[in-house]
Amino acid sequence: MSNSVISVISRFLEEYTTTTPNKLKVVDAYLLYILLTGALQFLYCLLVGTFPFNSFLSGFISCVGAFILGVCLRIQINPQNKGDFLSISPERAFADFLFAHTVLHLVVMNFIG
Amino acid sequence: MDRSRLFGLFLFSLALAGAQALTPAHYLSLSDVARLQSLLNQQFTDLESAYYSVVGLTKLGATVHDHEGVCRFLKSQLDPTDVNSVFFAAETSQAISGCEIPVSNETRDILLAAVSEDSTMTQIHRAVSALRSLGLALASQEVVGALTGRISKEDNVMAITLALQTAARLSKQAELGGILEEIEDLTPRLDDLGGIYLQFEEGLEATALFVTAAYSLSDHVDMEPPLKEDQVIQLVNSIFSKKSWDSLAEAFSVASAAAALSNNRFHVPVIVSAPGPATVSHSQPTLQLLVTDVMSQPLAMANVLVESAYAVASKSVILSQAPFTLNDGVFELNFMSSKPTSGYYQFTVAVTGDTRLVANHVELKVKVSTEVSVTSMDLSVVDKDQSIGTKTTRVDYPSKGKSSFTADSHQNFAMSFQLVDTNTGVELTPHQTFVKLHNQKTGQEVVFVAEPDSKSVYKFELDTAERKSEFNSISGTYSLHLIVGDATLENPILWNVADVVLKFVDEEAPVAVQPKTLYMPKPEIQHLFREPEKKPSTVVSNTFTALILSPLLLLLILWLKLGANMSNFSFTPSTVLFHAGHAAMLGLMYVYWTHLNMFQTLKYLAIIGGLTFLAGNRMLAQKAVKRFPAEQSHRLAQYRPVC
Repeated sequence: MSNSVISVISRFLEEYTTTTPNKLKVVDAYLLYILLTGALQFLYCLLVGTFPFNSFLSGFISCVGAFILGVCLRIQINPQNKGDFLSISPERAFADFLFAHTVLHLVVMNFIG
Repeated sequence: MDRSRLFGLFLFSLALAGAQALTPAHYLSLSDVARLQSLLNQQFTDLESAYYSVVGLTKLGATVHDHEGVCRFLKSQLDPTDVNSVFFAAETSQAISGCEIPVSNETRDILLAAVSEDSTMTQIHRAVSALRSLGLALASQEVVGALTGRISKEDNVMAITLALQTAARLSKQAELGGILEEIEDLTPRLDDLGGIYLQFEEGLEATALFVTAAYSLSDHVDMEPPLKEDQVIQLVNSIFSKKSWDSLAEAFSVASAAAALSNNRFHVPVIVSAPGPATVSHSQPTLQLLVTDVMSQPLAMANVLVESAYAVASKSVILSQAPFTLNDGVFELNFMSSKPTSGYYQFTVAVTGDTRLVANHVELKVKVSTEVSVTSMDLSVVDKDQSIGTKTTRVDYPSKGKSSFTADSHQNFAMSFQLVDTNTGVELTPHQTFVKLHNQKTGQEVVFVAEPDSKSVYKFELDTAERKSEFNSISGTYSLHLIVGDATLENPILWNVADVVLKFVDEEAPVAVQPKTLYMPKPEIQHLFREPEKKPSTVVSNTFTALILSPLLLLLILWLKLGANMSNFSFTPSTVLFHAGHAAMLGLMYVYWTHLNMFQTLKYLAIIGGLTFLAGNRMLAQKAVKRFPAEQSHRLAQYRPVC
């Protein structure tokens, strides 16, 4: 059983490193960073306590939101998905990404207290 | 004449059999009469006030001083052409002796001319009264005609009252029956207030003048006025409830009504009152009653009788049909001779002797008080298990027990005594029989009630163990007092019987008894502000801050490994501007967190964001343009034919 899992994982990683373009790998690294930050924040909350709760929430929401926007960006600039996003060029996707992030940061900063 | 009198008597006795319950609540006491007299005795300034003063005082039976001075005043003030002036002068001159107002033919003609249907009722009344007082001739039937005509035009209370008063001055041969009926017609207009007062809404003066006029006309024609006895009493209450009068006219009306009610042929209300409290005792065995008319004049011809007297508590009749004796204007009855026991008695007193008397059955509550003495006061200390015989000590009032009694938790302290009436020897059960124990050191007082048993022997037992909570378990010497009191006792008792030493088990340290601190200031409440939550230690926070920043490091490493670079960075102005604007926006976020509020931030954001957007748009467009041919060549390269 575990044998098959390991083989699946190793095959996946191999495919990933070879077939994904570099741009997407950059975005993936960014997404990993966001994920780790969010996870660590959650761990802190579990261990130490929820004080101050509003700060925890805003930090966590920031991570979650950034992750989602990053995923959106990745989907939109993936050349394999070009058929689905004919009217949206990668530059447009990036501009959307920046605008959405501005709004997200405004909200987070408001709530961080 | 006799027949009407018999008829009146029959009606009266019928009403008497109906046993009316209403007695006058208000009347003119002697001080009220004096006050009325002093008000009427003021120095008068004109004829009208002279009339009110002199005639009013005469009606009250008071003397008018200086008749000659008054007469001179009248003559000097008289205006022979004015009906009112002549009326006042004429009426006043009749009240004082030896005063003749000269009258001329013109005056007489003016007066006679005033008697017609076209003059007001006041004018007719004054003209007729003046003519009568001056002894001039008058055609009574014409007056009756004028009055009847005037009543139909002026249908108010004052006018009809004046008509009644005028009719009383006319000859008896005239047809006064129609005017007499007006009394009956006017009576329903009186307002009944609570069954106690009966008065016109026009006020006290109108009511008093109506009473005066009604009785004066009824006396004149010798026909009983159609007023029921209850109505008469209610009228008395209304007229005499006001004890200070606003004007001379009002005082005059009250004086007239008082005179009318105390001296007419039909109804004389009786006032029965006791001078001082109605209390009888051995030292004061006679019950005294004052029986007067409404002006506090004693009724000389009255016979006062106790119809029945019964004890309120036992309802047993003590007296029946016992007469009072008249002694120096006061009616007396020696009640103690019937040997009543102490308590309250309900008397029904009847005043007879005159058929005119109204409200002559009076209910009176009389108190018989007595003196009490304490007999056979026995104090003893009883052992709880009754193994040791009791030692009883007899203490006599008012001395104190010589030795003090000791009772500890195994013993009871017992007390028994009897309360007897000093004069009759009958056992009494007064309202208040208390036993008070007073701790001399701490000032604490504990009060118990002593209860009588079936033989009226009072017993009090103090169980030391059971009652220790009331004493706060403080042992010590207590002085024992007996308190006896009642409304019918003339000598309440507070007697220090003996000293009792009480010993309690589980005695706490004798603490001075604090009076209940209910009304002393309470301890101040300090406000506790909400305490901030416990923060984690700085070490922990710093550790986690470093931990959170570590993925950033990881990101940079990954990017470097992937080969992310800035080789494509073109230094076009739009690119520079875009990056600068973007950095500024991030900086604004930080400033927002530290200093600004949302509105200011949005303002700055709009400016910077706008610039950044424009620059970014330009930059991305340039990038897109650059990308396009590269893609094209990339695609074309894919389509290279395989040969």
